[in-house]
Amino acid sequence: MTTEPTAVIHDIGYRHYDGVRLGRGRATLALGVQSLRGVFGLGRTTRAKIMPLLLVAIMLMPTVVSIGVMALAKQYVMPYPGYAIFMQAVIAVFLAAQSPYLVAPDLRFRVLPLYLSRPLTVTDYVLAKLTALAIALFGLLAVPLTIQFVGELLVDLPGPPHTGDYLGALGGAVLFALLLSTVSIALASFTPRRGLGVAVVIAFFMFTAAVSTTFFAVLSVSGRDSVAPWALLLNPFFLVDSVQSALFGTAPATGEGYPSGIASCAILLAVIALAVTGVLLRYRKAAS
Amino acid sequence: MNTVVADITYRAMLGRKRIWLLILLPVALVALAALLRLINGHDEQTAVTLMKSFAIGTMLPLLGLIAGTGVIAPEIEDGTIIHLLSKPISRPVIAVTKFVVAASLVAVFAAVSTFAAAYLLTGSESGVATGFTLGALFGGIAYAAVFLLLGVLTRHAVAVGVIYALLWEGVVGGYVPGARKFSIQQWAQSLADQISSSPFFSSEVTLGFAVPAVVLVTVGAVVWTGQRLRSLSLTGDD
Repeated sequence: MTTEPTAVIHDIGYRHYDGVRLGRGRATLALGVQSLRGVFGLGRTTRAKIMPLLLVAIMLMPTVVSIGVMALAKQYVMPYPGYAIFMQAVIAVFLAAQSPYLVAPDLRFRVLPLYLSRPLTVTDYVLAKLTALAIALFGLLAVPLTIQFVGELLVDLPGPPHTGDYLGALGGAVLFALLLSTVSIALASFTPRRGLGVAVVIAFFMFTAAVSTTFFAVLSVSGRDSVAPWALLLNPFFLVDSVQSALFGTAPATGEGYPSGIASCAILLAVIALAVTGVLLRYRKAAS
Repeated sequence: MNTVVADITYRAMLGRKRIWLLILLPVALVALAALLRLINGHDEQTAVTLMKSFAIGTMLPLLGLIAGTGVIAPEIEDGTIIHLLSKPISRPVIAVTKFVVAASLVAVFAAVSTFAAAYLLTGSESGVATGFTLGALFGGIAYAAVFLLLGVLTRHAVAVGVIYALLWEGVVGGYVPGARKFSIQQWAQSLADQISSSPFFSSEVTLGFAVPAVVLVTVGAVVWTGQRLRSLSLTGDD
């Protein structure tokens, strides 16, 4: 009597991967690029593209108007360094709408262990997400500024071009990107729900803006002019503007002076460090 | 109005992280008022600034957003709304119940903290406290209804709500006077102005427009939510 095998493993033709393994750096890069595309809705559904493209269009509107005024009236109406402050509500909405997209789904569907089963580490994951949002925000600010600068050169206004202002504003855009993206990701990563994440990030920006305006108004009215400018620094947009005017010598966008530049720089660095530490701790916990 | 549905919704709203946002903003308002009182003492102008820019301008839309979308949007996102919709309860009743929960939460958190903050700064002088409390109460109810409707209309309810509250009411309303007529925030202010006699405060929209507008928007949004729930489709989204 022959013994028939009761179970057989069939060879159905799966093959090993024999190619080059690109390792940790390339995995981080791939995650970063995919996140950056996702922020603008590329590679996502049409519905997901509406919001970022609408906000990009709104960001370009002042540029178009300003080039038009420069061409027709030969006047320099919108200074480059004040652009981000002028558009702060739109930037806040962009960050609130897009930063939870970067972090919330991975936490919600608990796919972080899948990423971490690859050569990618927690730090790489966080770094890729932070860089993606920072580059997206820098692009959102730098593209309209550059278009306006090119427009200004083409229109050829009387007097020298405002190259110093433009370069200062670009430097400021780097600072905006670093501060606002780390803070937004830190806030958004605390909840796995996207809707709540949007609410938390926008609440932060609206809250700081309202508190800083209220305190500035009250302190100025009551004659405490030396303390009043410190209240402005509570708003992250004015904080970056004060560092920008200290580092690159641009005019303050509020028309008021800011307190000493060294203090603003220190606050800026402290807030960024705090936010990055917060995100890293959050993900250490989520990954374990 | 269905008490079981209301009970479940209250538990979902108050038992999660969401409650911290509902508590933190009102606490921050009262803390700010206390701090300003320490700096400046009794001051009507400070009170009006704080109420206009913080209580009505920032806290009220945020609370409306969190409560209005929070009562229904997470259930739609998770797909658990299907259990609720498959019960023999009429959909308009579900909509009304969800609205009552959201409106009561906004009313309690917004109105109480607004009154406390304004009372701390002005006492009962020239009706600032009662005026703004009334404005926050009715404005909050209208916000809750509108954001509840957004929650059933779109998956990106919070983001769309933020765009309305921040870009339309805040930025467009700041430059275009006509846009202020179509802003819940301004209607709340005109209700507040009716009671307060403060010389530092005047509203732009007449009461004859604001009151019908609040009622119409609230009722319209709740009815539309009920109609929309009758044919809600649970399709996936990215």
